[in-house]
Amino acid sequence: MRDRIAFLLSETWASLRRNTMLQIAAVSTACIALVLLGAVGMALYKLDATAHTLPSQFEVEIFLKVSVPRAQSLEMKKMLEAMPEVARVKLVPREQGWEELKKNLKDDVNLADLPNPLPDKLIVAAHQPEQLPLIAERVRKDPRVDEVLDHRNTLEEVLSVARLVRWVGIGAGGLLLFSALVLIYNAVRLTIYSRQREVGVMALVGATLTTIRAPFVLEGMIQGGLGGLVAAGLVLAGAGVLSDMMVRLWPFLKDLPPGLPPVFVLVGLPLLGSLLGGLCAWWAARRFVRIWGEV
Amino acid sequence: MIHLKEVSVEYETGEIPALHRVNLVVERGEFVFLVGTTGAGKSTLLKLLYGAVRPTAGQVWVLGMPVHALREREIPFLRRQMGIVPQDYPLLPRKTVWENVAYGLRAIGFSDRAVRERVAQVLAQVGMSTQARQFPHQLSGGEAQRVAIARAIANRPPLLLADEPTANLDPDTSWEIIELLLHINLRGTTVIVSTHNREIVDRANQRVVALDRGRIISDVPKGGYPIELDRLYPPITLL
Repeated sequence: MRDRIAFLLSETWASLRRNTMLQIAAVSTACIALVLLGAVGMALYKLDATAHTLPSQFEVEIFLKVSVPRAQSLEMKKMLEAMPEVARVKLVPREQGWEELKKNLKDDVNLADLPNPLPDKLIVAAHQPEQLPLIAERVRKDPRVDEVLDHRNTLEEVLSVARLVRWVGIGAGGLLLFSALVLIYNAVRLTIYSRQREVGVMALVGATLTTIRAPFVLEGMIQGGLGGLVAAGLVLAGAGVLSDMMVRLWPFLKDLPPGLPPVFVLVGLPLLGSLLGGLCAWWAARRFVRIWGEV
Repeated sequence: MIHLKEVSVEYETGEIPALHRVNLVVERGEFVFLVGTTGAGKSTLLKLLYGAVRPTAGQVWVLGMPVHALREREIPFLRRQMGIVPQDYPLLPRKTVWENVAYGLRAIGFSDRAVRERVAQVLAQVGMSTQARQFPHQLSGGEAQRVAIARAIANRPPLLLADEPTANLDPDTSWEIIELLLHINLRGTTVIVSTHNREIVDRANQRVVALDRGRIISDVPKGGYPIELDRLYPPITLL
């Protein structure tokens, strides 16, 4: 078994040494495609994590007018609690809201000397998210209410960005990946032609199709895997630089949840590359390594 | 050992079938020359035996296996039972004589130790032990053919097929190659050789099967170049 593996590996090495420029082209195209897919993956993960940190999609925030006294705020809370669609209502008094805001922005703005501009706020949770527009609609008509914020809109915005990233990324990445796979297919096909004598000898002495094809499949796996490894390095380095730059421009971004753990990128991209490269090479080997016909 | 029943082969491009209703039986231990002009069907018949060409009609039985019905993935196991010296597959140019012979054995899963033993034995058998470290371009035509034969018999097959093994060799070297094949035959291997070399056929005095345009036109148990072919294609005498 050891000798057999040694034979297959030596054949793979011999394959890889042929057509160096083509091998480089295949590896670099696979790399570019996987960089794009990796970057999209990381961006989607971040957007998804961000979406999860937003207030629950089961809640609406009701801002009362600044002139509304506390007694009326409490009365409104009771009225909302009486509605069958409502699960619970929380009153955030303007004093509490102001303290929280000052605390959150203390690194960026000094609000200590300013008068409190905030109204009382009611956070309403519904049993079902579909009931939120109904609740919001009813409450909006109330003269005490200044603004109703349905967080589903914010969530929808984040999700629509995620969708855009997903489709653009998958589209462009997929197209590049297709080119990479075609290049790997071609590289393997040319290697098969350049090793026609070896293939012929193996076929004549009775080597199995698996033995003849395996070095070419390994070649494709190595091409895809190498492309994936370089891509992983580029994606992680790029993400680090980009993230630092964005946080310097927009400090609030540092509060976003952490991105995809680097180990996923480091393992995932080479794995994906070698899997797809291997599949492509298998396809080429299956098509061009035959023992029927004119051997 | 070999049984062809009403075998026909038609290539898509050819108007005349490559083989037409051929019947042939070869017993274990025989030495058979397949003779005929270029395009007579000699190579096609050999390729039929090792599963490189499929018959369009008839049955091909080799070593008890129905070659006509074998699936592609079963062909390697047929070929392990035979040695093949093809016309157009020379030695691997970047490998030494020793590596060329070893390559075939390694490809079918022999261990390194078994490969070392077999290669040494078979190179001695074909008289190429001293050239083991040479590359193909350093060999004469006859020596290269000996290495190709060594590669074919390294697996100790019961059947050896050689397609025009004396093509491009001078008469003396051609006879040396035929003597080597006769010697292998004496050890019990069935040998089938395709050739259009009249001298070696006459001199070897073995079974001769003559083909013309895909048909067997004569089959002589012991003899020289068939007179039927001479009638069809008279030898050209240069004055």
